[in-house]
Amino acid sequence: MKTIFEYDEETAGHLSDEDVLIRLPDGLTRNDLPLPNVSEINVIRHYTNLSKKNFGVDLGFYPLGSCTMKYNPKINEDMAKLDGFSRLHPHSNEECTQGALELMWELEQHLKEITGMDAFSLQPAAGAQSELLGATIAKAHFSQRNEKRTKAIIPDSAHGTNPATAAICKLDIVVIPTDPRGNMDMNEFKKALTADIAIVMLTNPNTLGLYEENILEVCDLAHKNGTLMYCDGANMNALLGITRPGEQGFDMIHLNLHKSFSTPHGGGGPGAGVLGVKSFLADYLPIPRVTKQNTKYMLDNDKPKSVGKIHSFYGNFGMLVRAYSYIMSWGSNIRKVSEYAVLNANYLLSLLKDTYDLPYDRSCAHEFVISSKNLGEKSALNIAKRLLDYGFHPPTIYFPLIVSEALMIEPTETESKETLDEFAAALKKIASELKENPQVVMSAPHNTPIGRLDEVAAARKPNLRWGQSLQNNK
Amino acid sequence: MNYIPTTQKDRDKMLKQIGVNSINDLVKEFRPLLKASLNLPKPLSEFEIRQHMQALASKNKILKYFVGAGSYNHYIPSALNHLLMRGEFSTGYTPYQPEISQGTLQAMYEFQSFMCILTGMDVANASLYDGASALAEAALLSASYNGRNRIFVKEGLHPQYLQVLRTYCDAANLEITNEIDDKTSCVIAQNPDFYGNVEDLTQLSDIAHKAGALFVVCVVEPTSLAIIRAPADYGADIVVGEGQSFGIPINFGGPYLGFMAVKDFLLKKIPGRICGMTTDSNGNKGFVLTFQAREQHIRRERATSNITTNQGLMALASTIYLALMGRNGLRTVARLSYGRAHLLQEKLEGLGFKTMNSKPFYNEFLVKTPKPAENILSALFENGMHGGLKIAQDRLLICCTEMNTIADIERFASVVSES
Repeated sequence: MKTIFEYDEETAGHLSDEDVLIRLPDGLTRNDLPLPNVSEINVIRHYTNLSKKNFGVDLGFYPLGSCTMKYNPKINEDMAKLDGFSRLHPHSNEECTQGALELMWELEQHLKEITGMDAFSLQPAAGAQSELLGATIAKAHFSQRNEKRTKAIIPDSAHGTNPATAAICKLDIVVIPTDPRGNMDMNEFKKALTADIAIVMLTNPNTLGLYEENILEVCDLAHKNGTLMYCDGANMNALLGITRPGEQGFDMIHLNLHKSFSTPHGGGGPGAGVLGVKSFLADYLPIPRVTKQNTKYMLDNDKPKSVGKIHSFYGNFGMLVRAYSYIMSWGSNIRKVSEYAVLNANYLLSLLKDTYDLPYDRSCAHEFVISSKNLGEKSALNIAKRLLDYGFHPPTIYFPLIVSEALMIEPTETESKETLDEFAAALKKIASELKENPQVVMSAPHNTPIGRLDEVAAARKPNLRWGQSLQNNK
Repeated sequence: MNYIPTTQKDRDKMLKQIGVNSINDLVKEFRPLLKASLNLPKPLSEFEIRQHMQALASKNKILKYFVGAGSYNHYIPSALNHLLMRGEFSTGYTPYQPEISQGTLQAMYEFQSFMCILTGMDVANASLYDGASALAEAALLSASYNGRNRIFVKEGLHPQYLQVLRTYCDAANLEITNEIDDKTSCVIAQNPDFYGNVEDLTQLSDIAHKAGALFVVCVVEPTSLAIIRAPADYGADIVVGEGQSFGIPINFGGPYLGFMAVKDFLLKKIPGRICGMTTDSNGNKGFVLTFQAREQHIRRERATSNITTNQGLMALASTIYLALMGRNGLRTVARLSYGRAHLLQEKLEGLGFKTMNSKPFYNEFLVKTPKPAENILSALFENGMHGGLKIAQDRLLICCTEMNTIADIERFASVVSES
């Protein structure tokens, strides 16, 4: 398919041009603007045809572990597009923004109730930005107390964002191995928990899809050491209404609203990564904070201990609207979401554990990790590609790093038994194909719009923008 | 509402297959178990949600905006949203499986190309969170590139961007200083600046480079790039900014679109996703995520950034917007925005306002008001207009786009003259 830069047509003229005298000094003006002119019908066809080469939750099963690819209810899209939200300027005065502030305030109350935390910032645009905010708050907290703590404890099963965040914040990382039951190793943890540990970054359930069995003791030991407990809440979809991170002992948690609270992933974003904290850390949250006096909502910038700002304005507000709408739809029934997320994961696991290797033989939370190491080298990649032929999005592969040939499967609660049965059947079929006719798996996919792509060439001879390959040939 | 398709009959079959009696048996180790159900409102039907949300939305007041300051109210063609709402785009995620993600990937490539054309740079990533955090990422990139830890910020940076930059600098042990010397990692300048001033920054760029620092240009109102010199032409090593003007609603401040474009020599330091063109096993042209060794899921603590989820769908919105507007349309947007702002500025000069811009301006200008700014804003508010951002008791930062019609501008002037 050609790129948009290869069209040269009459445009639709969405605005009437006028004679305007531009009085900028010669050195500041631009004469060369090599953008394409494309007719509206061909813009529509171009991007509609591109969309047909894509896969999304709306098209089929998308069990991408750690990403919670659940159905995104359409009503939430419509609500975010209401004029009163989408056409509201962020510099409007409070008289004009009462509905928006009420929504943010109410969302914060619901998230507090769901997590057992005392205050939330809705500013971070994604989980990783929330981690950065959490680590910054930890630094501010210890600086206030004149404590020099320079290290972060992170288990070896952690998401890559955790060590990346700690590194940006100039915290040295102490990696803790995983024990044979799939928990963070307690002996190693105790040894590592020295006076210079600022923060423990833990995902619960962890990335193996297993609930940390020692979580209460971990938090207790950390607190006795003066260390803060940070929860990577990427896996909150297992816990809604069942247990609360605040009561497990965490001091901070980020939630990915695009995961548990169903805002669409958008092909890579936007998300929203709100941060919840216990009351003793609330003063450090970014400004402005939404406050309520009687029935009036306000933005409060007078927070001298705040770490500042993390977003140009108040966060990905449109995503907050969707998540709020989603939470209101479930309301006090929200526990059902996690119950069925856990049910679906355990059901799928029960169908697959005789065919694939199960590194930790326990019942899982909302996702699980199996290994195809018994099916040969690179088998996880080949299985993933072969799944495309069967019409499924593959699971997350080769993560967590501690499981070889890992397939990390998260079905979510919005999938039916029939879909799970079909997916399990496909994975079993591929396992037998690998024994009987491995070539068909190794050369997969066969039914996709395009075959396996040459990633080595992409990095060796980079072509990262239109016109570049033309230049490279000169 | 209920978004779970499983019948009770199926649930019982599934429990039997697992070998447990109830779902509670599956979660019993999730300690400490909640004893009571959560104190949340009663569940709402779709119809009830709609009523509830419409009631909230109607408590907000939408005005005619003569304010920008980081959020610009431009016209969005109808075709854009029809494309953006396609579930094939909006309900996918990061294109880890290129064989079934060519739509997202090609759109990323086109977005990168658009950003390179507009900024004049060599390489762009496929989006960051917003303009402010994109600027902060530029500081992190600079420090990682040259190992220096001081950041110089030219006067005129959006104050909220400065706040975000400070937060990131505190996190990463970087220091914002007032001097450019051999410890300066990068020199940051916004153009047009917060007050709308458009400036030739060649000299500042030379000073930065002589000190061995990188020169970072921040563009908050990117429609300006249709008529103003590309930052590459005056020496930028990194261009960051906010893409909201390109087809994204003002949305009470988000979701917006951070972007970053760099010179070739910084390719391996750039944060975020990058898409590249390559070929498949049959020699067909295709697209993949590339240079992933920079990213956290591969490189963990040695990654160039911790960013993962970005603003993908907003980048797609911008791409479609730029395709719909084209060269001619984008120039029209820029010319009208410039023209309307200058028309209003002339009218206000005639009413005793004094323009405080030290340089030519694009579509935003700072005025000294002849009476308290608060009174002027109130009078305009009574007439359904947001008259600008109050900078001081007698200072207003006023903005126009093509959405501010000539009739609106005349009305603005007449309300002000009568107040």
